[in-house]
Amino acid sequence: MISAEKPATQTAAGPAKIEIRNLNFYYGETKALKSINMALPARSVTAFIGPSGCGKSTLLRVLNRIYELYPRQRAEGEVLVDGKNILDRSQDLNMLRTKVGMVFQKPTPFPMSIYENIAFGIRLYESLSKADIDERVEAALRRAALWNEVKDKLNASGLSLSGGQQQRLCIARTVAVKPEIILLDEPASALDPLSTAKIEELIDELRADYTIVIVTHNMQQAARVSRQTAFMYLGELVEFDDTSKIFTSPQQKRTQDYVTGRFG
Amino acid sequence: MSSVTYPRRKLTNSIMMGLCVLAAAIGIAWLALILGALLYKGIAGLSLGVFTQMTPPPGEAGGLLNAIAGSLAMSIIAMLVGTPIGILAGTFMAEYGRFSRLTVIVRFINDILLSAPSIVVGLFVYEMLVVPMGHFSAIAGSFALAVLVIPVIVRTTEDMLNLVPNALREAGTAIGAPRWIVIRSVAYRAASSGIVTGILLAIARISGETAPLLFTALNNQFWSSNLNAPMASLPVTIFQFALSPYEEWQQLAWTGALIITLTVLGLSIVARSLTGRKEDR
Repeated sequence: MISAEKPATQTAAGPAKIEIRNLNFYYGETKALKSINMALPARSVTAFIGPSGCGKSTLLRVLNRIYELYPRQRAEGEVLVDGKNILDRSQDLNMLRTKVGMVFQKPTPFPMSIYENIAFGIRLYESLSKADIDERVEAALRRAALWNEVKDKLNASGLSLSGGQQQRLCIARTVAVKPEIILLDEPASALDPLSTAKIEELIDELRADYTIVIVTHNMQQAARVSRQTAFMYLGELVEFDDTSKIFTSPQQKRTQDYVTGRFG
Repeated sequence: MSSVTYPRRKLTNSIMMGLCVLAAAIGIAWLALILGALLYKGIAGLSLGVFTQMTPPPGEAGGLLNAIAGSLAMSIIAMLVGTPIGILAGTFMAEYGRFSRLTVIVRFINDILLSAPSIVVGLFVYEMLVVPMGHFSAIAGSFALAVLVIPVIVRTTEDMLNLVPNALREAGTAIGAPRWIVIRSVAYRAASSGIVTGILLAIARISGETAPLLFTALNNQFWSSNLNAPMASLPVTIFQFALSPYEEWQQLAWTGALIITLTVLGLSIVARSLTGRKEDR
């Protein structure tokens, strides 16, 4: 999509869905992101990697402005989604978040039934019949590869599921409100290897329809699931390129040191 | 370790352990003695008449119906007034005003209110309502009880909402829910058993209060459903009857005390089981 005022930048993988221009981020007086510039292609998986405290989660949290929940956190610069600056004061935050979904590190099912966990988000901005909601709930659960495991206990508490199932429930909940972008903040770091594999499979399936941004500590995971990788260090974007290039022939020495395990 | 040190430590351990058990036993023993005396003296006077007859004049048989009904009425009004105010204030402090200076000030004042002697609250309401109105009334009594209810509920609501992980609020926000829906559908739900426990504890707190009612609702020997007139209550009736020289009245005072104690005990058990269920999860 191309907006009238800001033509979308072309990336190697097609037109940009998200374009970050000269982004700075502050926690109070501390500058956590320094002049970030990057363009993320649509319908593709982009990974943010880097050592703890490098700003990768902070950058992710700018993309749906969830940081606004807390005082003394502010972003400067521009983040264009489909050519529209979402950091603009006129941006409606709730609408932004229905378009840019987010899944967190720890599974966070709401204290309600599995069915309600999904229906909750759908009902926020759509008034549908019971049958339509049932259909959307089922579709979302199927999308998150959870339907077969929960179809007989939709009224059970979301908290009764295992950690991996809870995380897929959270993904289903996010998908159910039909976002265009999905942000994943270390979605598998609290899960066992088997559940992790399922989540990664799921990301693989979702990337055809959504623009996915994933923050991960796990470099193998980044290499497995993403098409582009951004390496961040101390609040700066050190290198951003195709995942294969980042892991096989990085241009920057710091990137090479990190991906080969020499620091971080 | 020297061969002397270890036996000495073991001995110290046993002595300290013994002292702790003794201290716990003393605490429980008093409670058991009080409950025992109440049961022994109170049950003797317990009969259907206690719940169906009015407080009698000296020397005659009677019950506590008007006092029980008065206590119920004033407690219900106090809870109806105090609960919404308490929950809304607690919600402001834990949600909207979590990072504001106002919250720090309100919390400080609320803590003072929480530990304020209830007789001071009684005097305050006496000056604010009874004096301008020109007479004692059930409304003034209810108001005094509401003033005691509010800080308890403010405190528990704030504490319980603060225990709700921020991750849950972020999750609600992240699917596009406005703040008030996140609070209503996610935070309240996650904190519900704790908030209900706070409400039950507030009821327990006011059901035995005598001092604030002495200056406000006073007492009434007869049945009254007029909120604008003095009204009987269990604590004040117990206070009056227990100090009287008449045996029937003294017996009713014991029975009334037993009824209050069992009510508070029941509420505490319900409150406990509610929080207990949450921890099991």
